[in-house]
Amino acid sequence: MCDQTPNWILQHPAYQQMKDLEVGDSEQLHAAFLVYMDLTEVRRWKEVSCVKSPELQVVLLKAKEKEGASVQTIFPLPVHRSLSHRSIRQVLDRGFPVLLCAVAADSTLVYQRMTDGLVTPDPPAGPFQDVGRRQHRKRRQQH
Amino acid sequence: MEESPSMDDHQDSSLVVGVGLCDSAPLLWRLQDLKTVRSLGLVGALLGSLPRTPRQNQRLGRPLLLLPEEEKLLRDEEAAGALPGQNQDVGGVELQRRFEEDQQRSFEEQSVLALEDRKSALLRAMTSSHTGSESGAEAVDEALRRRLEALDHSFTFPQSAMAVQLSTARAGLSYCPEARAHLQANWPIREQNSPRSDARCQVFRDLRGRGFFLTSAGKFGGDFLVYPGDPLRFHAHFIAVCLMLDESVCLLDVLAVARLGSNVKKTVLLCSPT
Repeated sequence: MCDQTPNWILQHPAYQQMKDLEVGDSEQLHAAFLVYMDLTEVRRWKEVSCVKSPELQVVLLKAKEKEGASVQTIFPLPVHRSLSHRSIRQVLDRGFPVLLCAVAADSTLVYQRMTDGLVTPDPPAGPFQDVGRRQHRKRRQQH
Repeated sequence: MEESPSMDDHQDSSLVVGVGLCDSAPLLWRLQDLKTVRSLGLVGALLGSLPRTPRQNQRLGRPLLLLPEEEKLLRDEEAAGALPGQNQDVGGVELQRRFEEDQQRSFEEQSVLALEDRKSALLRAMTSSHTGSESGAEAVDEALRRRLEALDHSFTFPQSAMAVQLSTARAGLSYCPEARAHLQANWPIREQNSPRSDARCQVFRDLRGRGFFLTSAGKFGGDFLVYPGDPLRFHAHFIAVCLMLDESVCLLDVLAVARLGSNVKKTVLLCSPT
């Protein structure tokens, strides 16, 4: 990337769009842009767009995982920030599945699914076998 | 809690459990109380050592420690009463005196038996080493007699050598007196009422009301482990983390607890009272 202009991010049309939302949080804006690039170029999600959250004063992204899939909300946030349960609720109340994305200083991205209500986890993977006493005794002797 | 008139006295008195306080820890000692509390959907945590399998902590025994939320729930449903403290036990002095008498008697019996034991051992040792030598028989007898006399005078049976029998079967915690003080406003106030503990309490009640069983989740860095049924039959599905709606948490902490949850196959629940 070093042969390109160093301000390529600032000149990117998607960045300009997000900037025009005027959330007044340049750090969060930068984080949102990095997530945008990851979704569009790396993961190849569809119809990625940006929207402002008036309650939280942040840039949110909307995208579909693939053609014909349902829209999801992606909430980018610099990793050292804090948030409240209420703010997560406000993003969920938009009515779409939510992905929280933590953006580190080195541009590492960590996505975390947030869901509404009580979602039972996946059960442990089988097949299961009764190991029996001998197995337990063996394991103990190894220590 | 409605008390149906057809229930006999033993049954409806078992709906109130006796909570013994050890410092500020609410403990249940009696078997019936543990059963009652489990039937109400409260799990608690067993703390005691089992007398026959002491040096392990996979299986523990009574007493049962209640969570502050569990104790509060019992209190609010008027299902808990305070057990009087141990030093108010009138029968204790009598029991102790009888115990000491028994110990003394046992010691005296054992002393006698120990002396006899020693003498017969001495006899065996001295006679066996001189079998077959006819001429020295008289001398041996004389020496033996002298040794036995000396033993009689000098033998002492130390207290520390005494064998003490401990009855472990059904040793029971039945010394708890039946009388109980039904709870009034003078229940000792021990809780620190912070907003966090209030949040925990409301979340506990709500989830319990929906039929879930909850236990402490210290091992997982959360507030409660939420089971869809009795913990003896199910694995926990959720780790509940209680906070206020507007409480600020680090994003790193959210990620950490979420990652932990997925590693142990449990969904993390962020719970706040509205």
